[in-house]
Amino acid sequence: MKTQELVELLARRAGPVAPRVVQRRLAGAALGGLAAASIIIIAGLGVNPQLGAMGAPLVQKLTFFGALALAAGWLTDRASRPGAPSAAAVASVIGIVLAMAGLAFMTLLNAPAGQAGSLLLGSSWSTCPWRIALLSVPALGLLLAAIRTLAPPSGRVAGFAAGLLAGAVGALAYSLYCTETSPAFVLVWYSCGALLSAVAGAALGSRLLTW
Amino acid sequence: MRNQTAPSFELEQRHVTDDLEGRLRALWVLAQSGDEAAYRSALALAAARLRGYFLRRMRTQPDAVEDLVQETLLTIHLQRATYDPALPLTAWLHAIARHKFIDFLRRHGRSAALHDSIDDVHETLLPVVEHDFTARRDIGKLLDRLPAEQRQAILDTKIEGLSVAEAAERSGASESAVKVRVHRGLKRLAAWLRSET
Repeated sequence: MKTQELVELLARRAGPVAPRVVQRRLAGAALGGLAAASIIIIAGLGVNPQLGAMGAPLVQKLTFFGALALAAGWLTDRASRPGAPSAAAVASVIGIVLAMAGLAFMTLLNAPAGQAGSLLLGSSWSTCPWRIALLSVPALGLLLAAIRTLAPPSGRVAGFAAGLLAGAVGALAYSLYCTETSPAFVLVWYSCGALLSAVAGAALGSRLLTW
Repeated sequence: MRNQTAPSFELEQRHVTDDLEGRLRALWVLAQSGDEAAYRSALALAAARLRGYFLRRMRTQPDAVEDLVQETLLTIHLQRATYDPALPLTAWLHAIARHKFIDFLRRHGRSAALHDSIDDVHETLLPVVEHDFTARRDIGKLLDRLPAEQRQAILDTKIEGLSVAEAAERSGASESAVKVRVHRGLKRLAAWLRSET
């Protein structure tokens, strides 16, 4: 078949392109993963009974990981399209982490003498990252499946971004259960869990996201 | 058609000094909204650009160029939705071409690229090559190897030119099923082109 014939074939009855296909596929995968992770945490560990009375710490967690999910989602979108610059999305991810780091630093500075250690380690530092990483698995799987239908120039980068988004989703679900209130704890240990997910995403992405 | 004698492709190369981005993007925006004629023109223009892109990088294997042009055209079609209208179209097109070229090198060893540069040059220096070299792999024959439902959906809509509704009525499937079959069939063709060239 001549190339001109292929052009004719591809153009014939091609129809319009649906708007925002990339955004809709990624958002669907992330929301599906959030629903799955929420069901797992509610059924598995149960919701923190004091959740409603937690106040500022809960708002901080949800704001931080909500914003991180949006920024990582933007980065995943950029990384799933050929020729799309991602510097602004990377900068927004870094900016959000720095803002949370500033808040964590302030609470450590203002802590009474001898309290900084417990603000940093809380009572669940050794389980928190693993649980968040496990909770991010459904979102990561759905996101990788969605990106397989797209065209990521680098599977590793797209996988990393998807893993970060899935990690933020896992962290949002985990905050339903977690009783920790210190921003320093959230910054370090929650983010550790999200990073585990991101590293897994990069490793899987470089193998699975070929086209 | 245009040139019956076997020409050297050097003679066929025409250096673009006009605004390819502008022309291609104008057509592409129309094509995205469903204008078939605009899409045909846009793909033909993209094909000529891709041919120049690959020829420049694969002087040592000109016979593989047309295979790669066709494989990339299929990918462009299947990945239409990943073009962000806020960004330059040629950046999207070149990123796909570059990905396909590097993928080709990976499958064939780097010797193919010994004299050729992967680096992008300024777009006004890229040749548009309109001569249609013969591809080694015949997509028409590959079509015959598709599963019956996918082949029929492609023949109905893409060769015969039936509307999706007409093709759905003929095959007794829903319209969305016809669209999915066409998409999956083209995807399989692209995968075959990738694995066998």
